Amino acid sequence: MTLRWEVVATWLALLAAATAAWGVAAATLPLPDYYLPPPTAVLATLGDLIAKGILPTYVAESLRRILQAAVLGLAVGVPAGLLLGMSRRAAEFFYPLLNFFQSVSGIAWLPLMLVWFGFGERTILIAVNYTVLFPVIFNALLGVRSVPRLYVDALRTLGASRWRIARDVLVPGALPSIVTGMRLGLAYGWRALIAAEMLVGAHGLGFMIFNAQNFHLTARIMLGMGIIGVLWVVLDYFLLRPLEEATIARWGIVQR
Amino acid sequence: MPAKIALAGLGHEYVNPFTRERVLALDGLGLEVADGEFLTVVGPSGCGKTTLLNILAGLIVPTRGAVLVDGRPVTGPGRDRGVVFQEFAILPWRTVERNIAHGLEIQGVPRAERAAVVRRFVELIGLTGFEKKYPHELSGGMRQRVAVARTLAANPEVMLMDEPFASVDAQTRITLQEELNAIAQATRKTILFVTHNVEEAVFLGDRCCVLSRRPGRVKALVPVDIPRARRTWTLFTSDPAFSATKDRVLRLVREEVGGEEAER
Repeated sequence: MTLRWEVVATWLALLAAATAAWGVAAATLPLPDYYLPPPTAVLATLGDLIAKGILPTYVAESLRRILQAAVLGLAVGVPAGLLLGMSRRAAEFFYPLLNFFQSVSGIAWLPLMLVWFGFGERTILIAVNYTVLFPVIFNALLGVRSVPRLYVDALRTLGASRWRIARDVLVPGALPSIVTGMRLGLAYGWRALIAAEMLVGAHGLGFMIFNAQNFHLTARIMLGMGIIGVLWVVLDYFLLRPLEEATIARWGIVQR
Repeated sequence: MPAKIALAGLGHEYVNPFTRERVLALDGLGLEVADGEFLTVVGPSGCGKTTLLNILAGLIVPTRGAVLVDGRPVTGPGRDRGVVFQEFAILPWRTVERNIAHGLEIQGVPRAERAAVVRRFVELIGLTGFEKKYPHELSGGMRQRVAVARTLAANPEVMLMDEPFASVDAQTRITLQEELNAIAQATRKTILFVTHNVEEAVFLGDRCCVLSRRPGRVKALVPVDIPRARRTWTLFTSDPAFSATKDRVLRLVREEVGGEEAER
């Protein structure tokens, strides 16, 4: 799916209309300024926070944390899921466990983690890595299990070893599911990261918007929310989508 | 000359993992296939044709009986027995040439030699110009040709084919059958070809093995005394020997289907 200019133009028009409506509402509704700041205030906050260097620092902090979790997911989660998926017994045993831990997100763990690991970077990283890891392992395992038996049998009759079958059939066959797992894991991880930053309060975008609430800096909260969303869209579009395009879309496994 | 493939007292029972119900697919099946013979296997649906083929391939371990290839018992899959499956079993993430070369790659054949073999088979199956295409860019008939070429390129002594042309259109099927016939004549490989299509079985086989309804055993072995060089569809359909053999095999298969229906 490549972006067509009509779609982009429509989005821009909708954004402009929504911003205009917001501006009119902020100007006319009898509400205090901090309740609904006008778009111009949010824009001014953006300029101000960039100039002070606060926004670049916080964005860099949050990005560093999520990218670090992405590397861990790729380096540890994917191989672990693949290995577990290659044994039917291991897959049957671990499937419910992985499913359980995938559903208890890092956010739900945070109260306990704060007790165990304290209010610091350690808790944030553990919560985010945990949240990313389980969907990645789970989907890699599912990916291996969903490779058609026929492909494996075909290679066995060609005289392939187990290692050869893993390399030529199971890993490429699991790739669509691996990509899904990475996308899901990082999407969950990004949310967990913001939540952890809010509670722990050690820099980052989550800390920025949560802390702003103490001072009724509503424009800053809205700006932070917008940036959280935009950053994810950009990450997904430039990091995860090209991976999909280069492999599974080319093989005709994903229909677009 | 000892048989290339020898089966004796072969029986196989499936157990449904959910209902614990037992199904006897094959019972007391005995069969010998000579070296270089093209044997086709027909029978009513569910008579255990595919089970028989998978046992020979080494993918299923039979409950009872002996399976010998070249006098040695079959203990698992091996590159001496190549299989062409009913569905498209080529890998979607490999191009045509890499799929065809896969068996050679597994055997550790050097790259240059692989390329030469691939070129020869791409030409043989008429896919020149499609070497770099992925399977999803090909028609069903083309994909099945790639599957046949992959098995042939690995150069097995025995080819096991499980209704390989069932899922391609009628026109393509005729072409593929004629191509296979030419390949069989040229390579003199031992081929065991499973089908439910009686015409196809008679067109391709040196002998045609009719299986009984489940549990499958050999009901009859019908020789097809028509020289391979004369086997093109235009010649074949007008040949009286062909229609006589076809009618005979059809009658044998019908008896089994009818028997099954009468039982119900």
